[in-house]
Amino acid sequence: MKLVIANKNYSSWSMRPWIAMKAAGIAFDEVLIPFGSPLGNEEFKQRLAAYTPAGMVPVLIDGDTHIWETLAIIEYLAEAFPDRRLWPADGKARTQARVLASEMHAGFAALRRECPMNIRRPVWARELSAAALANVARIEAMWGECRARHGGPFLFGKFCAADAMYAPVVTRLHTYGIKVDRDTLGYMEAVMALPAFAEWRAGALAESAIVAEDEIDWPTVL
Amino acid sequence: MSLKLIIGNKNYSSWSMRPWIAMKAAGIPFDETVISLYVEGSEAAIRAHSPAGKVPILIDRQGDREVRVWESLAILEYLAEKFPAAQLWPSDPAARALARAISTEMHAGFVPLRQQCSMNMWRPPARRDLSDDAKANIARIQALWTDARDRFGTSGPFLFGRLCAADAMYAPIVSRFETYAIDVSAPVAAYMQAMIALPAWQEWRRAALRETWVIPKFEYDWPDVKRLAADAA
Repeated sequence: MKLVIANKNYSSWSMRPWIAMKAAGIAFDEVLIPFGSPLGNEEFKQRLAAYTPAGMVPVLIDGDTHIWETLAIIEYLAEAFPDRRLWPADGKARTQARVLASEMHAGFAALRRECPMNIRRPVWARELSAAALANVARIEAMWGECRARHGGPFLFGKFCAADAMYAPVVTRLHTYGIKVDRDTLGYMEAVMALPAFAEWRAGALAESAIVAEDEIDWPTVL
Repeated sequence: MSLKLIIGNKNYSSWSMRPWIAMKAAGIPFDETVISLYVEGSEAAIRAHSPAGKVPILIDRQGDREVRVWESLAILEYLAEKFPAAQLWPSDPAARALARAISTEMHAGFVPLRQQCSMNMWRPPARRDLSDDAKANIARIQALWTDARDRFGTSGPFLFGRLCAADAMYAPIVSRFETYAIDVSAPVAAYMQAMIALPAWQEWRRAALRETWVIPKFEYDWPDVKRLAADAA
């Protein structure tokens, strides 16, 4: 099995299935295609086109089957490795986990725009728009409710695909010094303490390529 | 057991249409509650059902046990698990993987097309000028429909032969292509005709054409509102 991803420092979508697979102990080879500059350049598009017609990372390749879109990759893995419990075993919890994952998949545009994932960036507080603050409030409410119901440390007790979907949000809240409540902080610490998270982060810090579009102080790179 | 689907205006709410069509076509019985969107009180009415504040929402009550599901994809996965005989996803794993990939691509994608061609079922078909981004969306959608049909759809008229959740996810795109008179290939036109001919589609459309709630931001000729007759075929 192969996972095609882009820069570990910037590619939040790549991080999700990568961390889900690592944390679940599913073996895979990684193919990293750097975004290059500017975003959406022809070389990146052409290299990626060998793996997917959708023009987006990540892509999972299992034999002849090529799967794009993070949620579809996660559903595929959940079916292929039922014993790894990528989704919670309890039906109601599983539904809730999928709701959270879907909400992440298409939502929180303001937060994502104002706080692009940039793991290398030194922690530095930034002011957010009202729309982004509303995203943060909604995320904190969801996380808090799930952890209260299932006991933590992760959203549904043990680490699952919903946590993987929110892993890049954890890095964003951290990087941009967003004010969160104590409970949220506890969750962020649990995610960041995962060996899979540390491994991804180490990979990101070792990268030197810069994506100007994701550097909010461009041309300054902190 | 009782299922209830909370949806928005049938004329405009493309997200509502997706699980509704999937459930109707699969013969899953449910009650519906329609909330008129973008008017005073609609947000509160939605939030009474879901903290995410978005339609559609599925409520499944069994005795004193209740499950609330929002987000179209999560609703479809929930229904697929609850009604395995309905085969909401294709049974072949490779087909199922592609069905989920293109459904997810719909879930978060094609923003320019969605912005420039709002679903508006009562609008008489007429072209609009589209940006290059929106045209690229149209090309990608035609390519992915054709790819699914070629690889997995030979046994029937839908993306994976028989109707599945992926068709439901793209139903509002079929409507948009029709409303905005988008030029499509012959195979894509045939697929659109199969979707439009579904009894579930016709039922949704009839109800949409009878609605009286107008949302100005989705009416591109505002303050003019062009409407097909309520009994248009």
